[in-house]
Amino acid sequence: MKWLEVFLTIDRRIIFAVVGFVLVLPIIFPFGFRTPVTPPTQKLYDAVEAIPARDKALTISVDYAPQTEPELHPMTIALLRHAFSRRKYVLILALYVQGLGLAEDALRTVVGEFNERATSPADSILYGRDYVFLGWQPPPVIPILGMGTSIRGVFPRDYYGNETDTLAMMKEIDSYSDMDLLVSISGGTPPVWYVAYAQSRFGIKVGAGITAVSVADFFPYLETGQFSGMLAGIKGAAEYEELVARNLGLEDRRKAMEGMSSQAAAHIAIMAFVILGNIGYFAKRKRRP
Amino acid sequence: MKRTFPLGIVLVTGLLGVVPFFVPHPIVQQADDIIRNKLLRIISMFALILGLGSLIRHNIEKIRRKNEHWPYSYILFGSLVITAIIGVGGGIDGAGRLPTVVGGFRFDIQTLYANIVVPLGGTMFALLAFFMSSAAYRAFRVHTLTAALLLISAFVVMLGMVPLGDFLGLRFSEIGQWILTVPNTASKRGIMIGVALGVIATSLKIILGVERKWLGGER
Repeated sequence: MKWLEVFLTIDRRIIFAVVGFVLVLPIIFPFGFRTPVTPPTQKLYDAVEAIPARDKALTISVDYAPQTEPELHPMTIALLRHAFSRRKYVLILALYVQGLGLAEDALRTVVGEFNERATSPADSILYGRDYVFLGWQPPPVIPILGMGTSIRGVFPRDYYGNETDTLAMMKEIDSYSDMDLLVSISGGTPPVWYVAYAQSRFGIKVGAGITAVSVADFFPYLETGQFSGMLAGIKGAAEYEELVARNLGLEDRRKAMEGMSSQAAAHIAIMAFVILGNIGYFAKRKRRP
Repeated sequence: MKRTFPLGIVLVTGLLGVVPFFVPHPIVQQADDIIRNKLLRIISMFALILGLGSLIRHNIEKIRRKNEHWPYSYILFGSLVITAIIGVGGGIDGAGRLPTVVGGFRFDIQTLYANIVVPLGGTMFALLAFFMSSAAYRAFRVHTLTAALLLISAFVVMLGMVPLGDFLGLRFSEIGQWILTVPNTASKRGIMIGVALGVIATSLKIILGVERKWLGGER
């Protein structure tokens, strides 16, 4: 059937238009599917749950840039909501300078949500008491290795210019031995750097939040137990949001869940184009063997 | 001397980077601490200055020679100067000496970052979705059995990455997880072990001075 060969030469502008349409439409009319929680996400959630509150810290390393913000930022926000609602100590830092603004944005968002609901200082989230933003210290190997001996040595001042050792929380937290889990959220290889330099030498547990395109590269670390858990792409973020909302009763905005509808539609559109292309290919091959 | 001195530096610093992982003696650990927390920080600051200087020189040259897209270099200089002044003078959220609010309009460094850099970066990366769709349509042809297997695996993993597969009761999420956990991990592990052995061998060759290409030509 010669007419089927038209599927071999679909103009790329048509493909762009269809993909654009299917990405935008679900943002306006979301499907609202529920996301089943996969084991890597559940493992990370359990690892955060297991951190002894007001004793050891959760450290979040914001190692992504604005390019991957839509996929990775919801992970940082969901982790912060989880940690703050369980009253865990939180340390936050960035290995790249681009991560600073994003970490600041995530903190403002989540601290704002909690403090809006708070009725007293006791149930508020306070800087220096509940969390500390360490900032950025180049090159990455300095904080990764340096935090094994002294956080205050690597970050004598925090992101806001306060002397680190004057902050109440930092009197109890000064090295990896005072942390229970470090989660590196990144579009690149920083989670592996933490495994190679920090875990191998100081024994810190490492979790990862990564983009969907790099999932295949990181699964071996999860299988060996070097990662205590992993959030894989926007789906991982949506699963974590689901766990936080379901188990902790937090009904704040879930951006990853909103993005899932667009991602589902885009995946189906891409698969449809690939199938059409192959229909055209087989029609042509059948006619001219 | 021009070759021996750099080789000596590489030998010493290379060994100092490796030894603290295996020798827990306090002297070794303290030396490592000084190298990491003091020496490396000073060197990295020089690298930052060098990078900035190189960027400025490259763009001045571009404007002088009127190379392709030279007017954009003026935008770079404008952005560099404005953000530096606002960042240094205005502080992170406008708490510095420089006023960063005019009426209700804020232009502190965090506001600029969140409202200019983040949307621009996100937009650039979002274009990838369009190019990937077009490339997948053109490249994914079932020419052979292996191509068919690749296509089926890709479809299962793609459906596993969205809730639709599970919504239809087809458990794509579980099958996708299995593909990533078992065949993917097995092949990746083999590649990673091979790469790691190659990296160790090359690093040792560089540290011990066997591999000298990084020194440049014979001049």
